[in-house]
Amino acid sequence: MVRNIKTALALVALTFTFALQASVYAQDSMKHEDKTKTLETGTFHGKVHKTSGRATIYQEADGKLLLRLTDFKTSNGPDVHVILIAAKDAEDDANFLNSSTERVELGTLKGNEGDQNYEIPSDTDLSKFQTVSIYCERFNANFGAAPLEKF
Amino acid sequence: MDTRTGFRVSQRKWILAAIGFPILLAAWWAFRPEKLWINQKVNEPAPFASRTDPQPLYTGRLEGKAHQTSGRATIYRTSDGRQYLRLTDFMTSNGPDVHVVLVQTDDANLTKEIVTDQIDSVELGQLKGNQGDQNYDLPASVDLQKYNAAIIYCERFHAIFGVARLDKF
Repeated sequence: MVRNIKTALALVALTFTFALQASVYAQDSMKHEDKTKTLETGTFHGKVHKTSGRATIYQEADGKLLLRLTDFKTSNGPDVHVILIAAKDAEDDANFLNSSTERVELGTLKGNEGDQNYEIPSDTDLSKFQTVSIYCERFNANFGAAPLEKF
Repeated sequence: MDTRTGFRVSQRKWILAAIGFPILLAAWWAFRPEKLWINQKVNEPAPFASRTDPQPLYTGRLEGKAHQTSGRATIYRTSDGRQYLRLTDFMTSNGPDVHVVLVQTDDANLTKEIVTDQIDSVELGQLKGNQGDQNYDLPASVDLQKYNAAIIYCERFHAIFGVARLDKF
């Protein structure tokens, strides 16, 4: 009887040690003197028009938002724009941008290769506009998209 | 007789040309086929001037495998050339003998939750906490082209808690 109770107690103790793996919270800091904050980042994918590189959203000291493309490459084309769309991601298909999809226009694509910056209107809700699209206005085609995630 | 047919043919040619040329022009304007060969390169500077902050080299999101794991892993280089891995928004389950390890993205072990084969890895140290921001120094000689994934690895049970494939920042 006593032995049974002891075994039971031991088992309970054991379950507790497994169940109650307390969380250990680490808090390493990092040298940060730049006034520019990195908010979000993601990589491009594109099938029909091969698109690659990284899209990153920065916030400057004065609060201005900026989209920067790095290692960027897509195909050249007519009337290509950089837009933010209210979607988690986008493929190049007919559903990519229907009339109900909200978007924020950032400007004409400056070059189909290389590092480039685009200003984002300061009232843009980044929790809603989560994807960057390289968008050919003339043919309603998505050259490539980069879903953004918190940096 | 001969001359009249000749006249008609050339007139038809002119009409064809009058219709065809604008069509060709419109098609060219719409498709701009020469852009297939012509690249437009730009090179704008980064929006920040200071180079004293550690610069991100590679980054990726953590995905859970054997245990739910989330957050971001980023490799930074400091202005004096040291490199470290930083975990942010990080969360995994607590466990025994958990390490942070660099591996190769195409390692077959990464398709499984439990490592059964030999794994080619670079040890970065014991996991400091199962939550929170944390830094791990990288050995100076580590080849980041080769070891381009970070895993949260339970040495005792050979379990991969989570993996982050690192892409160039």
